[in-house]
Amino acid sequence: MLENYLPVVVFIFLGVAFGVGLTLIGWLLGPSKPNEEKNSQFECGFPAFEDSRMHFNVRYYLVAILFILFDLEVAFVFPWAVVQSGLGWFGFVVISVFLFLLVVGFIFEWKKGALEWE
Amino acid sequence: MITLSDYLILSAIVFCIGLAGIFINRTNIITLLMCVELMLAAVNTNFIAFSHFMGDQAGQIFVFFILTVAAAEVAIGLGILTLVYRNKGSISIDVTNSLKG
Amino acid sequence: MTNNFSFEINSLLVALPEIFLLSSIVIVLIIDLFLTSKFRQATYYLTQLSLMVTGILSFNLIGHPETVIFSNSFILDNMASVFKVFITGSSMVAMVYTRHYLLQHSLYRGEYFVLVMLAVLGMMVMVSGYSMLTLYMGLEILSLSLYTLIAIARNRSIAVEAALKYFVLGAIASGLLLYGISMVYGISGSINISDISAFAHDPSINSRDTLILNFGLVFLVIGIAFKLGAVPFHMWVPDVYEGAPTSVTMFLSTVPKIAALAMLVRILVDGLGSMHDYWSDLFLALSLLSISVGSVVALMQTNIKRMLAYSTISHVGFIMLGFVTGVVSGYGAAIFYVLVYVLMSLAAFGVIIILNNKGYEADQISDYKGLSKNSPWFALVMLIVMLSMAGVPPFIGFYSKFSILQEVVSAGFITVAIIAVVFAVISAYYYLKIIKFMYFDESDKDETISAPMDIKLILSINGSLILVVGLFPDRLMNISMSLL
Repeated sequence: MLENYLPVVVFIFLGVAFGVGLTLIGWLLGPSKPNEEKNSQFECGFPAFEDSRMHFNVRYYLVAILFILFDLEVAFVFPWAVVQSGLGWFGFVVISVFLFLLVVGFIFEWKKGALEWE
Repeated sequence: MITLSDYLILSAIVFCIGLAGIFINRTNIITLLMCVELMLAAVNTNFIAFSHFMGDQAGQIFVFFILTVAAAEVAIGLGILTLVYRNKGSISIDVTNSLKG
Repeated sequence: MTNNFSFEINSLLVALPEIFLLSSIVIVLIIDLFLTSKFRQATYYLTQLSLMVTGILSFNLIGHPETVIFSNSFILDNMASVFKVFITGSSMVAMVYTRHYLLQHSLYRGEYFVLVMLAVLGMMVMVSGYSMLTLYMGLEILSLSLYTLIAIARNRSIAVEAALKYFVLGAIASGLLLYGISMVYGISGSINISDISAFAHDPSINSRDTLILNFGLVFLVIGIAFKLGAVPFHMWVPDVYEGAPTSVTMFLSTVPKIAALAMLVRILVDGLGSMHDYWSDLFLALSLLSISVGSVVALMQTNIKRMLAYSTISHVGFIMLGFVTGVVSGYGAAIFYVLVYVLMSLAAFGVIIILNNKGYEADQISDYKGLSKNSPWFALVMLIVMLSMAGVPPFIGFYSKFSILQEVVSAGFITVAIIAVVFAVISAYYYLKIIKFMYFDESDKDETISAPMDIKLILSINGSLILVVGLFPDRLMNISMSLL
């Protein structure tokens, strides 16, 4: 069972070795003489203003919260979609009730202004 | 071949890491939320492993529900977190010390 | 797997109270969105109406033959129906106290009522849950609503902190509970209570299976103890009680205890009843610790909500003691105790809420100085509640403690009963301290306390029930005993 995965392991090993090897060769053989002119930004942007690990606006949390909730509901819709033809009207009505409850939540947050950016 | 007990040991370890993380962690509320997620992930591993090795569907269905509840829990956790930030100006655990239990 | 999905109207009728409540939650939520501020009170009345109809529907189902529906995951029996009636009834009482508090503290929002209804829905699912999945879902619907209810006072940093603490510890509790459930599922091969029960009762069960079942059982008990707030898993109780807005404290300290007890009965008695020898030891330790810590630590509290929190912990200890006995009458005594506790606790928090109506939280014990001069009626109700909680004879609190101790003694745990009595006497001290403050101390502020008519009425009924049921406890006792 496990030996079936041997080609995969070999492939992963080869891939890693190839990537690391080429970088290593370039680093070993290539000349490295840095100076200030070379290290400065050159034709590709301007000096960074601040640290890239900046704080997120609190609004992103709100979007994240709403996203998580509605995103995971798909986990319930997907299995239903797979077996939908076997379930018939029963499945249809049940998923309709489920989606209806979701829509109620959606109406609530829309009306409360949670979807407005400003 | 990976056996059932391997999965159980893995999930026990992950569960303990999550539990220990909650009690040891003294810095950040977000880390706390992550530890809770880790505990639930361990439980999910348990359920799926059992379900797979017994050929029973109930465990997998349970995992669906745990995932959804975990999402709702995180949503509420993040909501409380923003409230803590608004009230205290920080999300470090040290600021939540006006109640002593 | 048999493919027998179809509409069975009969099975839907069995779950009618829950379905009705869910529909009314949706309707109230939408109506509240479109209400102008002139009609804000409508949300409150709609909530009371839906709770009342739900209660009546559940009442009609009392006496319905025991039915299990939704592929063995939802049960309707007498215990479920009676508990549902009590849950909706006490929620309605709590809502009456709540409304003025919310108006005066400018916390009045439609969401509050919707969340309370959701919590009630969660409790009803818990009470009727007959598989681990339904029990867990009910528990989470309840807990998630409670976290949000506490945080609804979003400008009060103490409330937000309480919400955070409750959230984190509640999440740990569900994690432990789930781990236990997964272990039980893994060994018994099913999440249905009836299948688990059949597995655990099987005489040919081997010792390895028993060991693993036991391992899961420990996690289950710890998870439930967390939710009930038994020592040593009680750290969140005083903080949450103190931090939460008083109306929320009243709600979360009373009604969920009924649902938690039902869950306890379903999992430990219905499901793992044959494992009683294993879990009764755990329960004995938990209940003795709860009674002692709850009674002693409450002596040092100056905040009345914290004091009542520790008092709750010691009451929880008594409730768990009923489960140690392992006989049906012991469980019945525990049910009786819970119903009595809910009645007393509602009245106690009702008085606290009335004293809070000046817009600030009057939650120091010293705020009760001279209450008998300013408002003799409220002081009298508080007197009844405190005497009842202390376990003084004519009141109902005496009978609840007495019936538990009777069962404990007849099960042969005489030492345990003596320890419990000693701590009950110690705990009488702080109940009497409040009475002393109310009747024998001079007030430092001179204000008459008034309350709206509906609160006065409900509080009077509530207080006199403690006395009346205390004089004639047989009826309630018979109901509790007949549920199992």
